Amino acid sequence: MKPPRISDERLIELTGVAKWFGPNKVLDDVDFHVRRGEVVVLIGPSGSGKTTLLRCINHLETVQAGQVRVRDELIGYRMRGSKLVADRERNIAVQRREVGMVFQRFNLFPHLTVLENITIAPTLLRGVPKARAEEDARALLARVGLPDKALSYPVHLSGGQQQRVAIARALAMQPAAMLFDEPTSALDPEMVGEVLGVMRDLAASGMTMVIVTHEMGFARQVADRVVVMAQGRVIEEGAPEQVFSAPRDPKTRALLAAVLH
Amino acid sequence: MAFDWTYFWAQLFTPSTAFLDGLFLTVFMAVAAQILGSVLGLVIALGKMARSRVLRGLAGVYIWIVRGTPLLVQIVFIYTGLAAANILRFNDITLSGITFPGSVQAGILALALNEAAYMAEIFRSGIGSVDSGQFEAAKALGMPPATMFRHIVMPQALRIILLPIGNQFNIMLKNTTLVSVIGVSEMLLVTETINSATFRTFELYSVLALYFLALTSLWHLFMAWAEHRLARSKTGLVPGQDAGATPKEVAA
Ligand SMILES: Nc1ncnc2c1ncn2[C@@H]1O[C@H](COP(=O)(O)OP(=O)(O)OP(=O)(O)O)[C@@H](O)[C@H]1O
Ligand SMILES: [Mg+2]
Repeated sequence: MKPPRISDERLIELTGVAKWFGPNKVLDDVDFHVRRGEVVVLIGPSGSGKTTLLRCINHLETVQAGQVRVRDELIGYRMRGSKLVADRERNIAVQRREVGMVFQRFNLFPHLTVLENITIAPTLLRGVPKARAEEDARALLARVGLPDKALSYPVHLSGGQQQRVAIARALAMQPAAMLFDEPTSALDPEMVGEVLGVMRDLAASGMTMVIVTHEMGFARQVADRVVVMAQGRVIEEGAPEQVFSAPRDPKTRALLAAVLH
Repeated sequence: MAFDWTYFWAQLFTPSTAFLDGLFLTVFMAVAAQILGSVLGLVIALGKMARSRVLRGLAGVYIWIVRGTPLLVQIVFIYTGLAAANILRFNDITLSGITFPGSVQAGILALALNEAAYMAEIFRSGIGSVDSGQFEAAKALGMPPATMFRHIVMPQALRIILLPIGNQFNIMLKNTTLVSVIGVSEMLLVTETINSATFRTFELYSVLALYFLALTSLWHLFMAWAEHRLARSKTGLVPGQDAGATPKEVAA
């Protein structure tokens, strides 16, 4: 049973995606989809291809086979006749605006204030007037619990605060979906909670999310579906109760045993 | 012949108009060549980092030739050599009453072309030292390459390369003396002209050296001030340091 807020529309859809780094096949014929409003948690051992899969969704990585679609639009490639050709960088940039991304290492722009970090993309890329963008940015900062940090520079924020700003920065583009790549694994333990809290609120607001995380308790709470990867393949997926309580694949069992104990 | 202090002080504190014109020309050429060379250097740096193998090759060959040959040879080649081969002749240009002699144009061009090769390498290393996460974040937000470059990468790269750029201009100020060889009346040539009439070589070249020392010292003070300001700016970014955020390393 899917919760009612999830629509049937497949917002993100990967079919038969394969990706090599040199001789290493990092994604092996991956089928993966995310429906509008759905929160999908991606787990798997180190090196199983989780990061690579996320990065294929917004074409930070090219793929060698298969297709990536967001809102039914082919990402990174165009059909020319019956052939797929690499799209132009400018067009890919436009497609990326639909999908927000949050990185393990935050990657805030250190030369800009918190407010500028959040307003730069909407003002430059969406033509939002500056005053309007700042108003929106302040609302986002309040939402992530940092209403008084607008004029600070990133170096003066804690890791947890930086990551919350990074989430606000991505949300400012009003993306249709958000990708999170281990957003708490670079944080001191006492800061993990504040970031997960923001993500939990975001999930409750109906945002479509793909989250790579090792926080299994959190995954269990927010995930509508858990997808397990190993060696570049999706080996198991299902509702969190099923995957966590009654994993079918022995590799999933081994993984859960490793992270839970 | 003893050092003529009276002559020395007179030349130092009441220099001739010709010498002051030479001083102006020295500074003017250095500034013009530095600006032109920087712009050109940025273009060459982009060429060196381009995806196209042809562009990378062209930029590489340019840097190779310019850095592998003496600046003095380049200056003579551009002014005298090209004219002798009937390829390019620098004519005097008069704009609203001010005449730019052909030799000055050629001098600035030669200095700029030379500078571009060095600036290209500086820009390249500056851009290369911007954390790759910055590129990723900019791309993920949907910035096209030009926007990313202008608003995210360059502001951080420039902080990193402030010092090397400062050093380049110091060298540039001194290198302007080389264009005396094609007859540009900058400070050295003016000094040499006065010298050939008075033979007070020791005094005159002491004065010349002191003027250059004053120019480079002023520049040095300016750079120290700029660096201090940047270091104290609220961003906490210090020139020459990694501009990327440095969260604690992740345990596997
Ligand atoms: N840029 C790259 N060049 C070459 N190999 C790469 C590159 N990025 C990833 N890989 C390799 O691809 C494989 C999958 O990497 P990926 O980062 O997607 O794994 P992951 O599941 O995110 O792992 P982790 O949990 O450690 O983050 C690994 O074997 C990795 O070494
Ligand atoms: Mg990863």
